[in-house]
Amino acid sequence: MIEAPSVNVDAIMRKAAASAAVFSELDQAHVDRIVRAVFKAGFAARVRLAKMAAEETGLGRWQDKVVKNVVGSLLVYEDIKDLKTVGVVSDDPESGIVEIAQPLGPILAVIPVTNPTSTVLFKILIALKTRNPIIIKPHRNAAKSSIEAAKICYDAALQEDAPDDCVQWVADLPREETQKLMAHKDLALVLATGGGGVVKAAYSSGTPALGVGAGNVPVFIEASADPVFAVEAVLSSKLFDNGTICCSEQALVVDRSLAEAVKRELVVRKARFLSDEEIRRLEAVVIDPKTKVMSVDVIGKSAAAVAKMAGISVNEDASVLIAPLKGVGERYPISGEVLCPLLAYYEVDSFEQGLNLCIDLNYFGGIGHTASLYSNDEEKILRFSKLMNAGRILVNTPSAQGGVGHLFNTLHPSLTLGCGSGGKNITTDNITARHLLNIQRIARRRVNAKFAALDPQLFFDEKVDAEQVERLYHKNT
Amino acid sequence: MFDLKDDAGRLTCAFPQRMDTLACQQYERDVHPKVESAGKPVTFDLNGVGYVASSFLRICLRTAQSVGAENLFISNCAPEVRKVFKIAGLDKQLNIK
Repeated sequence: MIEAPSVNVDAIMRKAAASAAVFSELDQAHVDRIVRAVFKAGFAARVRLAKMAAEETGLGRWQDKVVKNVVGSLLVYEDIKDLKTVGVVSDDPESGIVEIAQPLGPILAVIPVTNPTSTVLFKILIALKTRNPIIIKPHRNAAKSSIEAAKICYDAALQEDAPDDCVQWVADLPREETQKLMAHKDLALVLATGGGGVVKAAYSSGTPALGVGAGNVPVFIEASADPVFAVEAVLSSKLFDNGTICCSEQALVVDRSLAEAVKRELVVRKARFLSDEEIRRLEAVVIDPKTKVMSVDVIGKSAAAVAKMAGISVNEDASVLIAPLKGVGERYPISGEVLCPLLAYYEVDSFEQGLNLCIDLNYFGGIGHTASLYSNDEEKILRFSKLMNAGRILVNTPSAQGGVGHLFNTLHPSLTLGCGSGGKNITTDNITARHLLNIQRIARRRVNAKFAALDPQLFFDEKVDAEQVERLYHKNT
Repeated sequence: MFDLKDDAGRLTCAFPQRMDTLACQQYERDVHPKVESAGKPVTFDLNGVGYVASSFLRICLRTAQSVGAENLFISNCAPEVRKVFKIAGLDKQLNIK
């Protein structure tokens, strides 16, 4: 196992601060050479890192982790390579505003166990592109693979004369030291991807943080959808890396007119519908009785493995477990987020009923994250979108791949998906390099002629009301 | 404007399409006293209601207080109205079907 260079928080931050100082001197061309070198090295290691991550964590499928590494390297690189991140990034003579991009400073990147190498590649690329040194804090169950990914990136960056310590990593950092690191005066940002606990710790640290929220993605196959296409897409997403992506589908809501076709297609694709008794047994396994949220033991496991844990007999090649439920909420634990090949299943009699159910699912632990709709009716697509509290509303798209962007749409490719205020985040954006810049604005003198034309005495005359002053403000002179 | 029915010991009230402040005032004046004094379970049938003002949320809470939360049922919510109850956090306090 690769040893972390240091576990002394102050030493790490001293190195990071020195790295930030040197980084601030680099021009765009130099930065872009570093980023390209890191992309190439990360991409070259995509298969090895994927296998390493799958073996170390026991989660998901290495083949899908290769695709994730491609997203975290190739697609992220393609998205940011032409972005101006150094010096003047815009100049508008008319408004007199010139924007200058400055780095934030050292970033602490918290890495989840579910995407331990792709998230490292992604975060290092966007940090280096914006001249921010980055400290990788891996999940304890994925430290080896995350650190290996970080080391590959760092070595490549140094080959292009990147500042020393522009990438650091810390493994097995005790909780108190992690909190100390998060709260360190020289740390500019915590880029927190992971479970609720670590994200909350990041937000509580006093350091600015970009975090993520929990998901509970409803997917509504409404009457105008193509049921066979929808099922194929849903399964290609839900089965991807055994459902470890937080924007993957959690509950199928199907218009009853399509139900037979949907069920038939699910069975053709080796889905296994569960009985009420089997659902009860499964609940005991997939939901942690103490926390009332999904058990970490089932995350990224195959359908057969999860069924076996619950003592349910299924074929070894079962693709996904389908749990027909009668409601949403704590009485129906599987109606919440479970990151494995398991889908809650509902049938509805109308679009209205489906909307109501999706609202309930959305608000049962997934607000701000992602919602999914299969429809060929623009009015319904818009109405659904307005009613969901979700940063991403994905239409006729596998939601796992759709949410991370650039595969089925033009969302920015990202492995950190903002969930807005619903998820206690500052943005609903897919986080990318644009979020890691301080933008300075040179504001040249442009006198507000309308304001200058007003007689200042008006402001002191209490008889002058808002409508009068509004007329005068907009009066042509 | 409001249709209050007494069916086998249960009241059911239907509402106009817009339960704005004025409609709510009228409800509070004309209907609420009857609901309160009846002391029976009541269903607010929101079929066709597309907008509710803050006053309507207050009506729901007042009614739940007077007849008991377990005796007030809110049915046939349009998704837009259901979302209002969700955002207000009232979906856990009220029986919304």
